[in-house]
Amino acid sequence: MSPENPFIPYLATLKNVVTLTPEIKLLGLELDDPIVRDNFSYKPGQFTVLSAFGVGEAPFCLASVSSPKGELEFAVRRIGTVTSSLQELEPGTAVGVRGPFGNYFPLDDNKGKNIFIIGGGIGMAPLRPVINTILRNRDDYGRLLIINGARTPQDLVFQPEFDAWASSPGTQLELTVDRGDAGWTGRVALVPAVVVELNPSPENTIAITCGPPIMIRFTLQELRKLGFQDNQIITTLEMKMKCGLGKCARCNVGDIYVCKDGPVFTCEQISKFIEQF
Amino acid sequence: MEQQIRHKAKELLEGRTVECVIGYERATDGASARPLFVYEPEEVDKLIFDQTCTHNLVKYLLDKKEKTTAIIVKSCDSRALNLLLNEKQIEREKVFIIGVVCPGMVETKWNQVSQRLQPRCQLCRQHTPLNYDFLVGEPPAEEAPPAETYADVAEMEAKSVAERRAFWSEQSKRCIRCYACRQVCPGCYCSECFVEQLQPSWVGIRIAPAENEIWQTIRAFHLAGRCSGCNECERVCPVDIPLSLLNRKLEKEVWELFDFQAGLSAEAVPPFATFKKEEALGIGE
Amino acid sequence: MTQTISRKNLLAWLSRLLEHRLLIAPTHTAEPILFRPVSKVEDIIFDFDNTAISPKEWFFPATETLFWAETTDGRIELVPATLEREAVIFGLRPCDAKGLALIDKAFLAEPADTLYQQHRDKTVLVGLSCRKAYPQCFCTSMGTAPDDPSYVDILLTQVEEDYIVQIITQKGKALLPDNLLVKSEVVAPPPPSPSVIPAEGIEEVMRQVFDSPYWSRLADRCVHCNLCAYVCPTCYCFDIRDYESKGKIERVRSWESCQSPGFTRQAGGYDPRAGKAARLRQRFYHKLLYFPESFGAIACVGCGRCVMVCPVNIDIRELIADIQKIGGPNVP
Repeated sequence: MSPENPFIPYLATLKNVVTLTPEIKLLGLELDDPIVRDNFSYKPGQFTVLSAFGVGEAPFCLASVSSPKGELEFAVRRIGTVTSSLQELEPGTAVGVRGPFGNYFPLDDNKGKNIFIIGGGIGMAPLRPVINTILRNRDDYGRLLIINGARTPQDLVFQPEFDAWASSPGTQLELTVDRGDAGWTGRVALVPAVVVELNPSPENTIAITCGPPIMIRFTLQELRKLGFQDNQIITTLEMKMKCGLGKCARCNVGDIYVCKDGPVFTCEQISKFIEQF
Repeated sequence: MEQQIRHKAKELLEGRTVECVIGYERATDGASARPLFVYEPEEVDKLIFDQTCTHNLVKYLLDKKEKTTAIIVKSCDSRALNLLLNEKQIEREKVFIIGVVCPGMVETKWNQVSQRLQPRCQLCRQHTPLNYDFLVGEPPAEEAPPAETYADVAEMEAKSVAERRAFWSEQSKRCIRCYACRQVCPGCYCSECFVEQLQPSWVGIRIAPAENEIWQTIRAFHLAGRCSGCNECERVCPVDIPLSLLNRKLEKEVWELFDFQAGLSAEAVPPFATFKKEEALGIGE
Repeated sequence: MTQTISRKNLLAWLSRLLEHRLLIAPTHTAEPILFRPVSKVEDIIFDFDNTAISPKEWFFPATETLFWAETTDGRIELVPATLEREAVIFGLRPCDAKGLALIDKAFLAEPADTLYQQHRDKTVLVGLSCRKAYPQCFCTSMGTAPDDPSYVDILLTQVEEDYIVQIITQKGKALLPDNLLVKSEVVAPPPPSPSVIPAEGIEEVMRQVFDSPYWSRLADRCVHCNLCAYVCPTCYCFDIRDYESKGKIERVRSWESCQSPGFTRQAGGYDPRAGKAARLRQRFYHKLLYFPESFGAIACVGCGRCVMVCPVNIDIRELIADIQKIGGPNVP
């Protein structure tokens, strides 16, 4: 962003595109200006607003872990005009980046705890840097239990990383799909049912979940039944965002703007909003 | 008249024939009117009917498709209702039409109620609604189809192209694309209006004279053969653009070309919603 | 002791300003009175209640380019929009000036909207006190007054053929030379009294009535036309989109409002505020509860434009009185 005008994006170049699922691609961007690049740091949960110039802008959570001179990675699901346009870009094309915006998952505050991650579909995107941050600082955290769900086996996100996750010490990766296919020998169950099956103890644990609204709703129910308190459950709130700066008021819910005060909230915070969705 | 309306509304609500009666009540300025939705028989005394009841309530039927609703209509409103029946947007069995013989509406804005009849009412020769289940008021002896005089349109047509261009450019400059004209229009019910489409983007979000002109022109074309002349669009425009003039121009064209005026019967289908093989222009033959 | 300027000198001063700046004042535009640039002072209307659309359009235009993206030799360059002109806005009512101060709280909060800031910095506000209270006005219930000098650079109050001049800020002082002012014994008459509405404690009451059926009853007649938000001095929602023409890309922002169907619709189709009642409720909650919670003031200045313009007479004054009855302290 230009300090003169917060609506002006940083220029970045698309470096590579990896197809993750039929609908989702992982885009790797590098910021052009070396000073901006060196100073661009962010935490898991934060997002940026990406510009497909000539088409428009949309918010995307950062799916990479922050490092100086590191590539910014975004998992983009083809669903509208901006996402379709971004997915079709050739490496070498200019893309705009505004951010980083929003708050982040409170990993520092939860060192020493067990972390229970529950993700569905594209919801795995903000959870991936959480997982990778924990794995890079393994001794700072207790057990890591991950549920990664999708509609079908092809739609499971971040498959190239499953082996690394599953083989990390003290880490358990549980995959599940809503519908199997001919080659699938794994679990076929909805994500909330897997929460019940795994029956983790809420003792010294926080749960972080992200996925389709309906998955989150039922996951919350099951977590609460297991004894998780609302302040132990963390999620990201989905509202349409436009400016990312707390100006256009589109993401306003109660006295908060999701782009400025969120998107990460505990269930306790969300339960206090005057408007419930 | 008001007593008859209230009595009928009470009867319909008590008998649970309808879930709601849509009519009019007094507005907060104590002079003009506003729409009223009555759900309980005890509330029917709020219903009024006088020369300030200019609003076309027919559009609200589109929010009430699942329920049975009674609605107060004047003759112009009944044409809009017929349009929605023609286009299969509402079911006849779900609407109880309380038709009111209209004395003509006066010019009103909030806190400004005049004694002057609206220009469209001065021209109107059809005071009895064209479709109703229950009629309030005495129909006048002779009624004629809506006015075929388009003196205001003819006056504009007589000007040179350059003069007309200048006039409409001036109007477009003031438009703020609030879409109030669209929101109140019974003919504008598309779930995604062409202005909201992104692929392709016909108009976009820029609020500027060129885009405003496209907005107004295309909306007028989408209403050709469908506009009932209720004048709601012009009434609500915050910057007083003479939208009715544009709509009436197309109304005149359709009448001259197809001998058709919108909403005169519940069965007729608008010309642009009709395909007759004999009208094919030889394309593909 | 006050300072005054005669009508004649006022017009002469405004004419001189015209030579170097944009002079924006209430003027006829075919029908409604709007704030528009005037080319001669004779076009200024002095006797009016208020303009159909608030003057926020001169600080937060209905459409505004944020930047251009130009491609030269395969490299893209972003060119920010800047505002060059210096302007004076004349005839601003105190309620509208307060409206700008409220928008400031949102737009100038970190990170500041620099385009809006340029508009504010490069425009001098010359206010005109109201001599009459109009039926739609209720400014005193919203924390301002017909003669409130707090939010303008210069405030003029007409007394017969002269105007009492209050210079409020340095910006105002720099604009109006002392030699046009005359010391006087003239005293301003008491300001008019607009109607009063029971807005006291409305925030707390709003907290109680969120789930009331009142909202869906009210929403029955709302047609979601955006008018209330567009004429309002304090509404500020906008949309952003890109346009491409002849290889040049323009990023534009335009007014939008929370009343539009689809305002909160996400890609993929899910819309948390799809229903009419939820959208209608959002506007009043933003104005009467959320904005005060975030920025410390009710986002309404009592200008009454929404009351006049609503096609179905949704009247915020009636609403506030109704809400107090449903949820106020006297309810058991």
